[in-house]
Amino acid sequence: MAEAVLRAEGVGYRLGARALVADVALELHTGEVLGLIGPNGAGKSTLLRLMAGLLRPTAGALHLHGRALDSFPARERARRIGYLPQHFAPHWDYTARELLRLGLERGGDPSGLEAVATRHDITALLPRRWSSLSGGERARVLAASVLATRPELVLADEATAALDVGQSLALMRRLRAAAQAGAAVAVVVHDLNLAVAWCDRIALLHQGRLQALATAPALAEDPRLDAVFGVVFERVRTQAGWMLNARARRCEGDREPP
Amino acid sequence: MIAWLLPPLGLLAGLMLGAVTLTPAEALALLADPAQPVAQLLLQWRLPRVLAAGCVGALLALGGTVFQGVFRNPLAEPYLLGSAGGAAVGATVALLVALPLPQGLALPVFAFCGAWAATWLVLALARLADGTSVAALLLAGVAVAALLGAVRSFLMLALSDETVSLQAVLAWSLGGVQTPSWPELGLLAALTAAALLLCRGLARGLDLLGLGEAMAESYGLAVRRFVGLAVLAGAFVVAISVVWGGLVGFVGLMAPHLARWTSGPLHARLLPRAAAIGAGLAMLCDGAARALLPPAEIPLGLVTAAIGAPFFLLVLAREARRG
Repeated sequence: MAEAVLRAEGVGYRLGARALVADVALELHTGEVLGLIGPNGAGKSTLLRLMAGLLRPTAGALHLHGRALDSFPARERARRIGYLPQHFAPHWDYTARELLRLGLERGGDPSGLEAVATRHDITALLPRRWSSLSGGERARVLAASVLATRPELVLADEATAALDVGQSLALMRRLRAAAQAGAAVAVVVHDLNLAVAWCDRIALLHQGRLQALATAPALAEDPRLDAVFGVVFERVRTQAGWMLNARARRCEGDREPP
Repeated sequence: MIAWLLPPLGLLAGLMLGAVTLTPAEALALLADPAQPVAQLLLQWRLPRVLAAGCVGALLALGGTVFQGVFRNPLAEPYLLGSAGGAAVGATVALLVALPLPQGLALPVFAFCGAWAATWLVLALARLADGTSVAALLLAGVAVAALLGAVRSFLMLALSDETVSLQAVLAWSLGGVQTPSWPELGLLAALTAAALLLCRGLARGLDLLGLGEAMAESYGLAVRRFVGLAVLAGAFVVAISVVWGGLVGFVGLMAPHLARWTSGPLHARLLPRAAAIGAGLAMLCDGAARALLPPAEIPLGLVTAAIGAPFFLLVLAREARRG
């Protein structure tokens, strides 16, 4: 088994009386892409923000390469962890070059900007302002900025939510490439087929708790998926793997699917 | 480039304009021959005042740029945010109440405390409503500015007596620069340079904050601590400008915008350019304040408001279109 980049032990996060995340234990390894799935309000984004060090757990602990995550200085944590937020809308109209520079500077070295732009195929976009970029171009620029320091842990929070099919695939390809280059990647995905197709393992969350954690093919067959989402999935085996189609909403008293 | 042209233009205009208005050639000829009595008047009276107005404008521009960055709101500025009003209340107390401190010290200290407290109040009220939205911030700023205006008026009525000229305090609160002595001008210039360095130190944090709080945190910025520091720095800058120039509105709004249009949003480039534009604007407006109704002077705050209010509406309309 590859080295655990991130380890969560009994991680919980309460907001007042409400537990947004409870007792989550998982490991994230070098070279793997972990999908976080679950219905709205399952705690996926909160768990990702805890993993990024943006929130402090109210229970349990997170370790980055065996060291407590909250013991890292902010600058070092920023260099080691790349976080792609769910909605990114800069308040000022930065150019792509300025955004890439800000991303690179967290590693302390803004040199090599052109090389990073070439690697991420955004050289032509560098002089353009954010407001003039299309959705797909924005996703490329943001991914390049976040991945610029080659972080060892990459966390993407529904980064494909506002993208069309082609752009979503392109972003997942970039995240997969980051994993192949040695990063551990966790990505919150709403599209289950995207998760099954692109993730090595999938964590299923419901009401803040980890319901299942398995390889993508195994989780695609797991009946807990139907129970958590409250639908009956039709499972179609294709050459590329499982395809999930939500066929009907489950009603009270329905038997658990086999 | 345009940003760097404004200060010399403002200086020249400031030297030309006044109760006696000179042509550019006359002004330059007098500067070239300082032995003439009129040249002495220009150098000892008009020049320090124009330079003081430039420093006040630069400070207001720096305060506006920092507050726009902290609040991530293009309409934030010291006057509309209430921070200048807070400084004015503090300064009014220092002017009207017998304190165990020398007034030269009490004035800036009280102005700073007032600016700092008012800015935090607006920030807290805006957060209660809707974070950094334009409407929430403006409404909170308007409410706090109105409250502070009422407090200042009450203090002026309740505390002034024959030993304190109410008219002097009123004139100061309408905004205006007095002619300083050269040592006083030296102190103001040093404080302005220190303010520029202080704000320049905030540049990277302000850039990151512009990405949104989550991204800024993930890029290594301790957001809460940084906002606290930046508000403190902004209050310091605004307090100096209010002590020297009274309540001068809209320079802190216009200068960062004009600078952003020419240099982009990164604060390391933006701050010095905004300061240059603010200095140029204030010198021009101060010249106009002296020249429009000679031999009387219009308060500087009225001139900047006459230009700044339409500018504000223009920016507001742009923001409304952006949604």
